Amino acid sequence: MLRMRRYVLCAALVALAAALARAAEQESKLIDILQSNKPPQDKAIPCKQLAVYGTKAAVPALAALLPDEKLASWARIALEAIPDPAADDALREAAGKLQGRLLIGVINSIGVRRDAKAVEALIQKLKDPDADVASAAAAALGRIGGDRAAKALEQSVAGAPAGVRSAVAEGCILCAERFLNEGKADEAVKLYDMIRKADVPKQRVLEGTRGAILARKSAGIPLLVEALKSQDKAMFGIGLRVARELPGGDTTDALVAELGRLTPERQTMLIIALADRGDPKALPAILEAIKNGPKAASLAAMGVMERIGNASCVPVLLMVALDTDEELAIVARGALAKLPGQEVDADIAGRLAQATGKTRQVLLEAVSQRRIETALPALVSCAEDADAGVRAAALSAIAALGGEKQVGDLVRILQKTQDANERAGVEKALTATTARGGAACVPQLTPLTKSGDSAVRVIGLHALACAGGPQALAAVKAALNDKDEPVQDEAVRTLSSWPNRWPDDAGVTEPLLALAKSPKTQHQVLALRGYLQYLQGNKKLNDDERLAKVNEILPLVTRPEEKKLVCSVLGTIGSARALEMLVTYAAEPATAEEACSAIVALAERKDLKDVAGELRQNALQTVLEKAKSRDTKKKAQDLLKAFPRGTQKATAPAAAPGKPGKLKIVKAVYGGLPDGPKDDVTAKVQGMVAGDTLSVDATNDNFGDPAGGVVKKLRVEYEFEGVKKSKEAGENETLTISNKGE
Amino acid sequence: MFGRVTQQYALMLVVSSVLVRIPGVVRHTVLAERAHTVTKKSAIARRHFLKRGLAAVGAAFASPYVIPSSALGADGDVSPSERITLGGIGIGNRGGYDLGCFLNEKDVRFVAIADVKAVRRAQIKDMADKKYGNKDCAMYRDFRELLARPDIDAVLIATGPNWHCTASCAAARAGKDVYCEKPSTKNIVQSLMLAETFQRTGRVFQGGMQRRGLSHFQYAVELARRGKLGKLQSVHAHPCGMGTEMSGWWPGEPEPPKEEADWDMYLGPAAWRPYNKGKMASAFGFEKGGGMVGGGVLEWGSHCVDLCQWANDADMLEPIEYNPPAGGQVIAVYPNGVKLVLREGGWLPLGSCPVRFEGETGWVEAGDNGDIVASNPALLAGRWTKVGGYPANNHIRDFLNCVKTRGLPRANHFVACHTHIACHCAGISIFLRRKVTYDPKTTMFVNDDEANRLRSEALREPWRF
Repeated sequence: MLRMRRYVLCAALVALAAALARAAEQESKLIDILQSNKPPQDKAIPCKQLAVYGTKAAVPALAALLPDEKLASWARIALEAIPDPAADDALREAAGKLQGRLLIGVINSIGVRRDAKAVEALIQKLKDPDADVASAAAAALGRIGGDRAAKALEQSVAGAPAGVRSAVAEGCILCAERFLNEGKADEAVKLYDMIRKADVPKQRVLEGTRGAILARKSAGIPLLVEALKSQDKAMFGIGLRVARELPGGDTTDALVAELGRLTPERQTMLIIALADRGDPKALPAILEAIKNGPKAASLAAMGVMERIGNASCVPVLLMVALDTDEELAIVARGALAKLPGQEVDADIAGRLAQATGKTRQVLLEAVSQRRIETALPALVSCAEDADAGVRAAALSAIAALGGEKQVGDLVRILQKTQDANERAGVEKALTATTARGGAACVPQLTPLTKSGDSAVRVIGLHALACAGGPQALAAVKAALNDKDEPVQDEAVRTLSSWPNRWPDDAGVTEPLLALAKSPKTQHQVLALRGYLQYLQGNKKLNDDERLAKVNEILPLVTRPEEKKLVCSVLGTIGSARALEMLVTYAAEPATAEEACSAIVALAERKDLKDVAGELRQNALQTVLEKAKSRDTKKKAQDLLKAFPRGTQKATAPAAAPGKPGKLKIVKAVYGGLPDGPKDDVTAKVQGMVAGDTLSVDATNDNFGDPAGGVVKKLRVEYEFEGVKKSKEAGENETLTISNKGE
Repeated sequence: MFGRVTQQYALMLVVSSVLVRIPGVVRHTVLAERAHTVTKKSAIARRHFLKRGLAAVGAAFASPYVIPSSALGADGDVSPSERITLGGIGIGNRGGYDLGCFLNEKDVRFVAIADVKAVRRAQIKDMADKKYGNKDCAMYRDFRELLARPDIDAVLIATGPNWHCTASCAAARAGKDVYCEKPSTKNIVQSLMLAETFQRTGRVFQGGMQRRGLSHFQYAVELARRGKLGKLQSVHAHPCGMGTEMSGWWPGEPEPPKEEADWDMYLGPAAWRPYNKGKMASAFGFEKGGGMVGGGVLEWGSHCVDLCQWANDADMLEPIEYNPPAGGQVIAVYPNGVKLVLREGGWLPLGSCPVRFEGETGWVEAGDNGDIVASNPALLAGRWTKVGGYPANNHIRDFLNCVKTRGLPRANHFVACHTHIACHCAGISIFLRRKVTYDPKTTMFVNDDEANRLRSEALREPWRF
């Protein structure tokens, strides 16, 4: 075992040595390229590769490129990245020789590498007559930081030329930042204070002020308050930003104290900043702003409730929700809906019992929006409130939240309700709850089906349809024999759209078939439609069964509307007979479009084993001749391409056999035309020509996305019977060329 | 022959020489240690800087709230002194859409455009002048002139990704608030610099990840964050591409006059190459994802990963382990064990930029068509609005509100920083074709010299952060 380990270790060392040798050899090749007479384009990528894999060995070759205007930027990519101190040495040396932009680049790289050995040289550059060079030196000194750099920058601020002063101040700010990170807050404060009081651009003063406050921690609060009191908009702005950054309860206290002293507009801003702090200590002041503040402040305070509010805010928001100022009331209701925390739900639900009138309505809205399901028993009580507005709000909330448990109560309420509008509200709640509760709700609906009021019996049918299941179906079937004709009609309508639970509710087919033979046309039509929908939706039926049932009902289908539905069903049946029947329907103008669409759907199925290729081809040719939809035609064209060329039948606009086509695609491009990135898609578009026509969607699906974020175009240059033409289509449009070349 | 060197080519070079794996690490041990000593210290200090003062700020984007616009003076007639004065930098197709949203806001006045292309400058000026019925919109070739104007409060940056971070930081240093299109950064260090700069300057940054402002995505995120899906297990993002490339040289062409098209300014922080008309036209694709590990998962990743970060309550962090593509997926793992799955296929037909969040008891999937699909319909019983087509108007309004309140918008600099670090780490894993482990405390990869050298890329002179 030990021997084996030794062997593995030796093998790894040998492999490592070999790899090292190969790596050095590769780096050497890259260096050779840089030192050769090759043109600059050959040296660019080697620079980038050396940035990832270069060592000290590569530095001299890279440094030699620093005076080269074309390659200096490439060389610095590597020199900034190579960890070896040799790169620092090379950059420092170059800084002593170069001028202008190339020097600036080198100074910037020194700053990025934070080369402390360069500080003295950079300090000298602060006095460079080229303002850009001096500015770069100041910024680099700021990045390097330290006592020496900070002192030099500090001393330069006052005397720096106008074009350099901003960068020197920036260098000071950077040094201060570094001091702060190193735990030298006093030195940071000194620099920040110096900058905020200096004659430097406004933005630097703001940065100095921000730093001076944050570096002082709690001791910076007076300075923060001073900023907030400032008449200067920008200074107030930096105060607002720092108000979010400076932590601590004492900061919150100071901000709250300042709140009342500000103008209404500034109060609004500070309220939002206080909310961003997330400190609950600010909550009483924000609530006070809601109650008694200027309108803008009140609106803002309610807007931040989602962040900082809790259950203690409910009474105030309830009060404002009843305000005569509609805007305030609406925002208060929105805030009630968004207050965070489950204790808010409990509070709101608890208040429902005692509340009355408008307050109760507002609470019900909140219950609905917050989806407080524990309040459902109280909602039922509210649905029988003496106040009509409360009743309506409660029913709306039950519709949003209720289920099986509320069905019995709703049935009881419905039976007591006479007003048509109120009945509509109960029906809405009833259908929503039965839809959620399902078949288990049906026994509770029985009183409705036995009601002496036909309108109630109709509502019962709707509820039964939402519940579904065999018991509900039986109840609706029974209603076909109702003593009142409107109820009978509604029962037929209900059966014809018996919803959504195929094949569980397959029992509906029997009454539908019977009704399809009804002497009453309205019943016949509804039943046929319902039956055909069943045939299309029932996935338990195999193709043969489905086709047999279509044939069974076909003698009853006489109107184009139902024939279209037959086409839809046939489009799901993968058999030769279905395809033949669709070709027949395609010949009838009233059903051609639906039939063609169904043919295409069938023809693209890969499991049509018993359908001969010729039949499919014929059917698709029919589509080309009869369909009006471009999409359908295009699909048919695409499908026809799958057939061997010799077997394709010529369509009307097709080129004569043996002769060149009239339409020749010369060039096609897709992308951000005219100047944006684009792809040549000529070959692809050429392949889309069918006969002497073209129909192509200008989409990323077809051509990829050569210009992300840009609305693209497809441009096609073509010859038609030798005449040069061109066409364009916008993204997601269809570009077509007809058999006349237009 | 001078085209971009693809990942395949780059790997061919290095793998054949075995520079990539063990030898590279071993050979650089001493040097890497030194590099880590310097860079790690710097990185830790940076981390402390970012954390300092964030106790309160962290909560600011936990759950965005809505302040009535009338409270912020955005309704009705807005007095000139209360208007936000806006400038534009590099406004093309996407930027034109953004600008349209800005122009619809009553409290915005667009006054200047800076663009390297004369045609674009004129188009945007025309758009603004038509809106206001005057000829006041100023035009600049060099955006620094626009930034020097003290009357401009904020800028819309919709250049190509090459410029996004550099221009955003320059704007912040000039005292401007920034709405910048995505992707926000080119590499990890740029992401950190973006966060640092906007924190230091106190300026407002909103990245163009506008899906954070759409009701149905917000609703899906809330389901994940509030535990409605059970304990979160995985978050899934559609990256729309996982290729990486190290960008290189290209054939030169005669350069047009600067006033017509300023090539030097277009190249900006990217390494120098000769003028090429086609490359100048493809601003969006140029150096997207950086010059070292370009492309990656940033196309839709900057949107979808962003939503995943949000769903996992990870706005201030990112995954730590990143595995290379396998079976069409890149899987990264967050410190809390949740997996970030970047995959191209297997999505429900919900349009572009889909995301999916899977918990122990349920899942939810949403996309740009405005729909949400969930494992249980009861999960969708709350309130959300179907909004298809990923409009940016809410996101832009959020930015404008924060310009006034000085709060943090939904896709602020911290959010953008960590979302993009996640994307860049995934890109590095794809580029290196191996697992990488990122340490959020040091902002470095663990014992991985190669990956660490891909964290950043020198800016071309004279540009700096």
